[in-house]
Amino acid sequence: MTDTELAGAPEPVHGRLDHSATPLIVAENLTLRVPIIKPHERSFLTSPLQLFGSLYLSRQQRLTVSLLHGLSFSLASGERLGVIGPNGAGKSTLLRLLAGIYQPTSGRLSVRGMTRGLFDVSLGMNLEATGLENIYIRGLHMGMRLGEIRSLVPSVLDFAELGTHIDKPLMTYSTGMRLRLAIAVSTMIEPDILLLDEWIGTGDSYFNEKIKKRVMALIEGSRGLIIATHNAKLMSSLCTRGLVLENGAAAFHGPIDEALALYQNRQKQR
Amino acid sequence: MPENSQLSTNLNSMIQIAAFGFLINYRKTMVGPLWLLIGPSLFIVVLGGLYAKIGATEPDKFIPHLSVGLICWTLITSFTNQAPTVFQRARTQILQAGLSLDNIAMLSIITSVIIFIHQIPIILVVFFLYGISPTFGVIQSLVGLVFLIASGVWVTRLLAILGARFRDLSEIVQAIMRIAFLVTPILWMPAVAERGGALGHYLLYNPFFHFIEVVRAPLLGNTVEVGSWIVVLVVTAAGNIFTHFFSRSYLRFVPLWI
Repeated sequence: MTDTELAGAPEPVHGRLDHSATPLIVAENLTLRVPIIKPHERSFLTSPLQLFGSLYLSRQQRLTVSLLHGLSFSLASGERLGVIGPNGAGKSTLLRLLAGIYQPTSGRLSVRGMTRGLFDVSLGMNLEATGLENIYIRGLHMGMRLGEIRSLVPSVLDFAELGTHIDKPLMTYSTGMRLRLAIAVSTMIEPDILLLDEWIGTGDSYFNEKIKKRVMALIEGSRGLIIATHNAKLMSSLCTRGLVLENGAAAFHGPIDEALALYQNRQKQR
Repeated sequence: MPENSQLSTNLNSMIQIAAFGFLINYRKTMVGPLWLLIGPSLFIVVLGGLYAKIGATEPDKFIPHLSVGLICWTLITSFTNQAPTVFQRARTQILQAGLSLDNIAMLSIITSVIIFIHQIPIILVVFFLYGISPTFGVIQSLVGLVFLIASGVWVTRLLAILGARFRDLSEIVQAIMRIAFLVTPILWMPAVAERGGALGHYLLYNPFFHFIEVVRAPLLGNTVEVGSWIVVLVVTAAGNIFTHFFSRSYLRFVPLWI
């Protein structure tokens, strides 16, 4: 499973000014409502054949759910924010909002600088293309010119350690090889604000030291970091601030130790 | 003008990404993108003679008419049929924030144009075989082509947004385009005096006819009626203006719909 990858989407809402006094990210009262399509009530338990019938008639209803409501926080330059919360609390949704993929339904979000999200490793990789071609394709996707990409190819090759495989189509690669290439490519440019989703904490078994080092170097280099993970140890070592999410709302925003303590308390109560 | 140079850099990268994708798509085939020439050529060779007979026209008038019409039609359907699913197919890229929505739509437009350009040699061969050598007509035809592509831009951007919200759109568009192919003079020629042929004056209400006409007629040495130019200009301008405002209001919802 290569559920690691990164994607970079520079979509700064406001990108001018560089006073280090102004926070990198200011979110005020963020709310996101999302339409979902859901099949009508039906019971497969009484008759499994209904599965085909209702699919053919495509009976469904459309409803709106609220994924985030009234979220406010800010991230100052140099700060590292850890987003904690149970599954479905809205962590990934919040990261997508910050990456500029979703626009808030209401509220204000201002992001200063280029954000890059490391969300899902398989993204933008073309299985039919060779490793080398993929470096160029991803580089172009990230807004680089061919010349710039060419100058970075040696360092990518050096990290990915693919040897002669670099000229073979990606579909012949093992999961580990794909992961190495994807990480190497995605970390070609250093973003101002780095957004990391859970994978960094959960992939530990095959998350070798080398990749970890590369991501850590990226974290060091960025002016701001927002990471969503369940891994409390990782979070307390990386982050300075914590944001506890519950059902799309902020339960706590403050120093990381207090946030973790509060989260662990809530987990025990459940 | 830093903004302009950024725009052209972006356009440049999009062309490179589209070309990459276009070529890699054919990697495993033996003939590669040459398939784009083989398909329409077969169509023209096999059906050209037959439909010239059915329509009681002379092959040396009809075959060039069919060739140019068919290749323009390929471009038009490429715009309309790809558009409604553009964002659905790019779901991963959008949700991982690889490319902006505008760039994804632009990639689709560029790919259609690349395919079109790749098919132009068919027209050249047909013109050579039938001794057609348009001179000034080429320039006029290129102007028509610019408007055809400019309309492809708004059609793609508009249908892409609508298609993300209403999944039925893709089926609807395909059904309409199948009929439009037959009611547009590609496989048949409008009678010279009564321009509409079997369709009578209804032909004038077919926007596809006007768009093909401004590209095809100058090449074949026919004059384009002023009415066709007016339709093309108005549709292109109005469509792009409307789509601009539509996109400003609704584009941001696309990631939530797909």
